Amino acid sequence: MVINMKITKTQNGNSLCLALEGRLDTNTAPELENAIKGSIDGVGELTIDMTALDYLSSAGLRVLLGTQKIMNKQGSMRVTHVNDTIMEIFEVTGFADILTIEKA
Amino acid sequence: MTADKDGMRGICAGGSRDTSMISIRHLCKEYPGVTPLRDVSVEIKKGEVISIIGPSGTGKSTLLRCINLLETPTKGEITVGGVVTTDKKCKVNLVRRKMGMVFQSFNLFAHKTIIENIMMGQVDLLLRSRQEAYDRGMELLRTIGLADKALAYPDELSGGQKQRAAIARTVAMEPEIILFDEPTSALDPTMVGEVLSVIRGLAGQGMTMMIVTHEMKFARDVSTRIFYMDEGGIYEDGTPEQIFEHPKRERTRIFIRQLKVLHVENLTRGFDFPAFMTQLEEFGRKQQLSQRQIYTMQLAVEEALMLKLLPAAGEAGKMDISVDVEYSEREELVQMRFSYSGPSFHPFGSEEDLSGRMIKGISKKMEHKYADGVNHFVISI
Ligand SMILES: Nc1ncnc2c1ncn2[C@@H]1O[C@H](COP(=O)(O)OP(=O)(O)OP(=O)(O)O)[C@@H](O)[C@H]1O
Ligand SMILES: [Mg+2]
Repeated sequence: MVINMKITKTQNGNSLCLALEGRLDTNTAPELENAIKGSIDGVGELTIDMTALDYLSSAGLRVLLGTQKIMNKQGSMRVTHVNDTIMEIFEVTGFADILTIEKA
Repeated sequence: MTADKDGMRGICAGGSRDTSMISIRHLCKEYPGVTPLRDVSVEIKKGEVISIIGPSGTGKSTLLRCINLLETPTKGEITVGGVVTTDKKCKVNLVRRKMGMVFQSFNLFAHKTIIENIMMGQVDLLLRSRQEAYDRGMELLRTIGLADKALAYPDELSGGQKQRAAIARTVAMEPEIILFDEPTSALDPTMVGEVLSVIRGLAGQGMTMMIVTHEMKFARDVSTRIFYMDEGGIYEDGTPEQIFEHPKRERTRIFIRQLKVLHVENLTRGFDFPAFMTQLEEFGRKQQLSQRQIYTMQLAVEEALMLKLLPAAGEAGKMDISVDVEYSEREELVQMRFSYSGPSFHPFGSEEDLSGRMIKGISKKMEHKYADGVNHFVISI
């Protein structure tokens, strides 16, 4: 089992994609928060790619929510390739209505 | 009906179900310093599917190796199909041919194609023509979904495919019994299922088998009989129902209880969170829980324990937090029981809380009880 998270950044003009791999939990959420803070200036289109994300907890949801608030002011944000289990988390917490989500 | 029988050639060849296939009398195997088998007497009948379970080092492999003559028993007598194999005059090769053996590692010949691997023994030992051996090999490969790999080399196959091919090769030899020693323990967890389903298929066709395994759900579903090995022999012998649900003897009970329960106590803020996540994952895999159930267990630990109970314990002092995870196979229900002292405290007391909404949303039930100064918070998954 992978117990950490890897973030791969791809910048293309003013669009930024962060591909997450592994687990977004209490231990790893600060890493994502820092990665976003460090690269979000001037970004108009943000994509969070969850293809290889296995686990997401409330700590991760909070980071996503904070990021959505920033992006509401400067552009748009999408969460893509969400698997069924994580989709269920988005649904039961009401995040499915707040975020723009594309299923895997 | 004759056509049917022909199709299953060698899989349930001759004999009625009550025929004794292997008879073991007072078997003893000593190694310098250890005696894994002290005095084993048991009868194995045609058509039985026996899973052998038990703690490490209790002689499970030794028993199979003695039956298969890979080890020479120190004392006792083994009869296979009426032939006393422990007799010095016994023709070892002839007896061994009645028995197939599948090990943890896939032992296929690396420089031969899959179909060649399956044909070899048939041609050399059963004296079949190459055409016959090929036809039988392809027939078996088709039944396990590997016909398209016939011309591949073992290295080009996944672990699960290699093990399925190894089983096909064993079956091609028309053994009367197949002995498996942990056939799935060297595999990536994602490949365990495909191998178990091939073994399940053989059981369905009436193949006599003895299987040393740690896959308990499989053992329960597929076997007609379970040997629990401990203390120098077959400590308890019974139906899956008896061994898994109503074990009679003390050590069996302890072993079975440990399988179903994960207990962690003295949880404090410094506990190793990633290690606990891994432990839950391993427990879940062993019980063959779904990925979603494993996810929910992990989430319950993170949201209830890490984010609520431990911080609360930090403020209010020590709470003696422990967690029990129990899986009931019959109800297909996982229960996580958090116990802690201190005043009455529901971890998700406030409705608005994100953690509470998550767990409530993906679990079957949450329940909090407080009695005699102890909190019991139970999440059913
Ligand atoms: N060739 C050998 N020489 C010496 N001791 C041996 C030999 N083979 C096995 N043993 C010992 O005999 C005991 C039983 O071993 P065995 O391999 O049968 O256990 P097991 O039940 O199959 O365990 P596991 O679940 O770990 O595979 C162990 O203490 C082992 O160290
Ligand atoms: Mg062994």
